[in-house]
Amino acid sequence: MSNRVLALFRVSNPMIRKELRQRLRERRAWLLPFLYLLVLSGTVAFCYYMVVQEGTRRGAELQGADIGQAIFYTVLFTQLAVLLLMAPVFSAGAITIEKEQRTLSGLLTSLLTAPQIWLGKYVSALLYLFLLLFSALPLLALSFAFGGVEPMALLKATGAMVLVLASISAVGLWCSATFRRSVHSTAAAYAIVLVLTILTAVIFGILMAHWSASPAGNHQDPPPLYVQAPLFLNPIYPFLSLLDDVDVRKYAYPASSCLLYTAMGLLAAAFAIRRLRRSGEQV
Amino acid sequence: MSDAMIEIQGLRKNYRGIRGLNEFSLRVERGDLVGLVGPNGAGKSTLIKILATLLPADSGSAGVAGVDVAKTPAAVRAAVGYLPDVPGVYQDMRIGEFLEFFADAFRLQEPARSAAVARALAQSGLEERRDDFVEHLSLGWKQRLHLSKTLLHDPRVLLLDEPATGLDPLARIALREQLRQLHAAGITILISSHILADLEDICTRIVFIAEGKNVNEVHPAGAAAGAPGALLHCEIEWEGSTEAAERVLAAIPGAVVIETKGNWRRIELPGGPAQAAALLRAFLDAGLTVLHFDARGPGLEERYRRTFGGRP
Repeated sequence: MSNRVLALFRVSNPMIRKELRQRLRERRAWLLPFLYLLVLSGTVAFCYYMVVQEGTRRGAELQGADIGQAIFYTVLFTQLAVLLLMAPVFSAGAITIEKEQRTLSGLLTSLLTAPQIWLGKYVSALLYLFLLLFSALPLLALSFAFGGVEPMALLKATGAMVLVLASISAVGLWCSATFRRSVHSTAAAYAIVLVLTILTAVIFGILMAHWSASPAGNHQDPPPLYVQAPLFLNPIYPFLSLLDDVDVRKYAYPASSCLLYTAMGLLAAAFAIRRLRRSGEQV
Repeated sequence: MSDAMIEIQGLRKNYRGIRGLNEFSLRVERGDLVGLVGPNGAGKSTLIKILATLLPADSGSAGVAGVDVAKTPAAVRAAVGYLPDVPGVYQDMRIGEFLEFFADAFRLQEPARSAAVARALAQSGLEERRDDFVEHLSLGWKQRLHLSKTLLHDPRVLLLDEPATGLDPLARIALREQLRQLHAAGITILISSHILADLEDICTRIVFIAEGKNVNEVHPAGAAAGAPGALLHCEIEWEGSTEAAERVLAAIPGAVVIETKGNWRRIELPGGPAQAAALLRAFLDAGLTVLHFDARGPGLEERYRRTFGGRP
């Protein structure tokens, strides 16, 4: 068993090499990081300008920590939004492209196992997202120059981001294993991201309104678990514990959310590998 | 010990309610080159995909190189080379990289890996273009590259599903020659195709499949034309009286005129070469000058027409 796991992860998995080589040959391999960092840099400049303007307008003395925190959270959530938009692009087309260019039969009739094929696709999609994520670390670390943000917050934020992206990529890959065409699998993956991001927030809002209006509703206490539960699936939720806001911290159960995301990613991986094994009809 | 490289017993496969294979059975001996012909939807691709481990059968058994396809698919993949109708290639890879990737995918270790890639490049005639991108190859060259990739791991059985689809005549001829060489090298080949002339030219045996069943079998180079009593088609053209020729033909037992053009007839003879010789002698004895005489077994096309002529 341990040998099989090692064989799956060893660097010599030809699928990983092939996928990375093909991925980095695409024009978007260098264009996207450039545009991504341009957007984030613009966001940082805009954020700095707004904070300074606001401080000047209020006439209060501007603290470096205020600027540091503003930059940190702005970059963090912009990064999350952009990477959530990009994750399905890289994962949802990964297996469907093999079906569309009629190469999947070559993989399935070789000695590559379905988990090896899946892993090659997954690692390639994820590593590219990580390239974007980590290339923006200097921008996030800019906040240290102003203060107000601890290095632990940066580590927690990066860890949460890695987990969310890993799960969303696994879901995208499951869509890719299930559908025949990239356009359908990408649409399905985006629909899932939208459901996780928006629908969970809407359900939470309805439950919260219902609870607040009830006699049990007490605004001083954190809402009960059943009210918060839909938010556990929201990709923004694991980041709430990082926010230095007492009202927001009431909603933070990051461990539950992280567990849920881990389970979602593992389930998506298992279903995708199972689907890949049975995809002979689609080749 | 059985010498069958492919052994299929009562194979059944349904596709979303449509019957793909229905109690199909076949045995292919080591070194055979077997053609699989039949109308679209007859079950040819389904059969090949099951043998290539891409599809599971609903019931029945299939074995390749002595290994059960359903029980040990990895062992079957190690013994089989599968070539689909459309050669799926990675356009953004170099030719050498493409072959190296599949050598790795078949777990070839150095120095066998480099040797297999060099051999594949030589077989496909792409040695000089090793660093070119695959997208710059024509369809015929892509097919050659794909066939070479299929042979990287020295398969004992080749499963070819319509390999000549979309190829120009020269590429088709090259493919036919390559298959002939592989057959001579002892590789067992099962090939499905709609190009009957190619199959007739290279196959040792041709299996007709319809509605998922094995409905007929012929040996193109074998008994058909030479055996006594085998059905023959004769073409004869003469100079002289048409009435005299008609009298001669009417006197030949079982002879059926199937085509007429002036003093030229195509005749079906049930009595084999002896009867064809008798027909020629009767024409000469009747004082007719024979300008052209050709007797041969009905071609694959004719047999195909007879087998499937009534089918939609």
